Amino acid sequence: MGIAIEDLAVSYGGTRVIDGLALAIEPGSFFTLLGPSGCGKTTLLRTIAGFVPAERGHLRFGGAEVTHLPPHRRDIGMVFQDYALFPDKTVFENVAYGLRARRHPDAAVKAKVGAALERVGLGHLGARHPAALSGGQRQRVALARALVIQPQVLLMDEPLSNLDAKLRIQVRETIVELQREAKITTVFVTHDREEALAMSDRIGVMNKGRLEQVGSPSQIYREPATGYVADFVGGANLVEVETVTRQAGEIGPIALDGIAITARAPAALTPGRAILVARPEDIIIAEGHAQDALPATVAHRQYLGGKTSYKVTLAGGRVLAVDLQSGAHDRFEPGASVGLVFDPTKTLVLAS
Amino acid sequence: MSAQFRSVWFWFSVLALAILAVFLLYPLLNVLTGSFGGAGGRSGWVILAGDPKYAAAITNTIVLGLAVTLSTTLIGVPLAYFTARFEFPGKGIVAVLPLVTLVIPEVIAAQTWLMMLGNNGFITRWLGARGIDIPSFYGWPGLITVMTFTYYTYIYIGTLAAIRGFDVQLEEAAQSLGTSPSRSRLNVMLPVVLPSVLASALLVFTLVVGNFATATILGSRVPLLSVLTYQAAVAEGGSDPVMQSTLATVSIAMVMIVLFLQRWVVSRGRHEVTQGRGARAQRLRGLAGLATGVLAALLVIVSLLPLGSIVIGAFTVSRGPVMRWGEWTTVHVERLFRIAPDPVLNTLAYSAMATVIGITFSALVSYLIVKKRNVLTPALDYLTALPLALSGTIIGIGLLMSFNTGFLPLTGTASIIVLAYIVRRLPFGIRNASSTLYNIPNSIEEASISLGVPPVATFFKVVLPLMVPAIAAAAVLTWTTTVAELSASIIVYSGGRETMPIQIYKLIDSNLMAQASAYGLVLVAVILIPIIVATRIFKVDLFSSKS
Repeated sequence: MGIAIEDLAVSYGGTRVIDGLALAIEPGSFFTLLGPSGCGKTTLLRTIAGFVPAERGHLRFGGAEVTHLPPHRRDIGMVFQDYALFPDKTVFENVAYGLRARRHPDAAVKAKVGAALERVGLGHLGARHPAALSGGQRQRVALARALVIQPQVLLMDEPLSNLDAKLRIQVRETIVELQREAKITTVFVTHDREEALAMSDRIGVMNKGRLEQVGSPSQIYREPATGYVADFVGGANLVEVETVTRQAGEIGPIALDGIAITARAPAALTPGRAILVARPEDIIIAEGHAQDALPATVAHRQYLGGKTSYKVTLAGGRVLAVDLQSGAHDRFEPGASVGLVFDPTKTLVLAS
Repeated sequence: MSAQFRSVWFWFSVLALAILAVFLLYPLLNVLTGSFGGAGGRSGWVILAGDPKYAAAITNTIVLGLAVTLSTTLIGVPLAYFTARFEFPGKGIVAVLPLVTLVIPEVIAAQTWLMMLGNNGFITRWLGARGIDIPSFYGWPGLITVMTFTYYTYIYIGTLAAIRGFDVQLEEAAQSLGTSPSRSRLNVMLPVVLPSVLASALLVFTLVVGNFATATILGSRVPLLSVLTYQAAVAEGGSDPVMQSTLATVSIAMVMIVLFLQRWVVSRGRHEVTQGRGARAQRLRGLAGLATGVLAALLVIVSLLPLGSIVIGAFTVSRGPVMRWGEWTTVHVERLFRIAPDPVLNTLAYSAMATVIGITFSALVSYLIVKKRNVLTPALDYLTALPLALSGTIIGIGLLMSFNTGFLPLTGTASIIVLAYIVRRLPFGIRNASSTLYNIPNSIEEASISLGVPPVATFFKVVLPLMVPAIAAAAVLTWTTTVAELSASIIVYSGGRETMPIQIYKLIDSNLMAQASAYGLVLVAVILIPIIVATRIFKVDLFSSKS
């Protein structure tokens, strides 16, 4: 069942946090709201859940208007950052809770809860209380509890952020597997770009209550619509430049510190100020002053095992981040004069 | 429909606010406006200014408040410090202290001190027989002694919690920066603990200002505000509604000023208390350990003396007011159950009702205040805290003035006594319930709602079960304090509806100490048995939320 949002406005504590937002989420897809804290992604999720009232606009689940439906009648499953398990109830009773509220007969409850717990690998822990589980296990119980009722829509509010790095990846895989299997339309909120890229069918990058860009993970990463998206999703170098008229998709030279750099314009540009977007891994450091290379000085080096992160200073004083992966990637010493070569297909120029 | 879903709680808030307006705000306004006199135009303030008796009562009340606040702080703070930071012989018995405040009703404390040190007391007589005359216990010596031992545990409990919560790493940091251990403690711990000490000290001050039982039993030579207020309210041959209001207003103002001062002091040095590593108790050895142990033990013994005296008093032969110490009988207790069990039954019935109604109301209102905030809940928050600033006497007078006649005549019924109990206990019930509610994350409720359970049903299925331990503790505490309640109920009760504390008060007034002791013994049992059952059998943690 798809989700359609039209002209949505939401206020929180007297201030408009979302204004005129529109979004369509495909039935059965995994949609991620990505953004920094305070960007409105959780508010949007809670508006979809019904815990935050919409001031204006429409919210539809599969064509049916739910804008003014109270949350307990929206048929949603929700997974929370702090698990929100009922501490006085056993794991089994936690998962059974929604089924009992729907007055399923005891035998059905037993079978469904058993299967749901089995599915998240906790079939043997039904009699325990949440306090006796690890963080990863708790979030699996929460997931089973939300999915066992076979909701129309599954909503997840940063469900992985209380877990440590290793568990995060494990639970992440469980979530994706279950979602693909059940084909439940899912809205997932996170501030972790890796999580978003790894799990989603589509991602909506949020900034100050607006959706900056909606697209597939590779679109978001490879073709950021704005400097903000490029920065947030990829930690890209953003450099202000001057541009001439460009067609959408046109590849051409851009002047930076007097050197012409080849960059692609994903969208049409008019003459004036623009932003050059170059990801650290899309820049290569060459020894000495190669032709067409941008002269720079190595300022700082951080050896990270598989790659080395450099900070290099341009002649104009700008500092860029460069990641080298292949070969002897840590061979440049701080202070060395080097030349930077930009990947012409991956370096972008965007309207500012 | 979304608005409707939220408005269920909104209408509950309206209802709660209406109840508070009728039973708390309206009586309070009656008290405050009553001081300006009725149609006759006799202003209480003119009389107050004209009669030196009232000026003396105000001065005495302030002096007594300050003296007892000081003496309880001097006992309570060191005791808390030594208990928190040191191991010493006999430390275990100090742990029973919090129970002392609960178990010994004020009226019994005052009475038993009189049985020991009063004109006819066994210590007075024993010393007198050996040619030692001690000064009369009535007046200042008695007031300060009894109130000190009644109230120092409040300072002790408040300070102990603060010292236990203090992050010892701050002290270590100070030492690492080069100050000596004792200076580090003074520099770093004192500012962090001080707000809690001040808060407890304020509580003691307000309790002393509002104290009726001890003040009236021991203070015959020292006019005090609370006693004069009571006398104005129930004077033989006609009460004085104008003066009762005026005097009540004065004591409300007094408490308000102190409350404001405390806020101001605390806000000047605001500290964010970080929860850190608690200190390990150090073992005190040798003389220091022994001395600390003996002092602490002495304190506990003196605090518990009233309990021993009440047992002795209840079984001592008496002829009218004369106690024949050393001669034993069970006649007083037998008489109590055979001839006059009504005060016992009344107490049980009224307290049971007050506990059930009060706890239900507190649970609902704290849920609204903590979890379902709307435009009305701040008002609920303030109103429910209001009785903290009102003594029992004032609450009693307010209820009497409001429900004597008029739209809701309750005078002469049991309900006005139950009402007085509920109003007095309200702030504590609310505090108890809300501290638990703050620990229940909102997401748990939202999880339940998202699973298809409507909000009100969610409260009953998810929130209420988590509140049960706190509610049980609150119920026990409400029970133990309401069965001992005297100052409000003695104003609103009517003939035949005496409770045990009222009966004890009357008997003390007639100097019938043995019979008073018999009721006292039953009263202590009525308090102790639920505490023992709750803590030992149901493992209720009475002080988890520090109410």
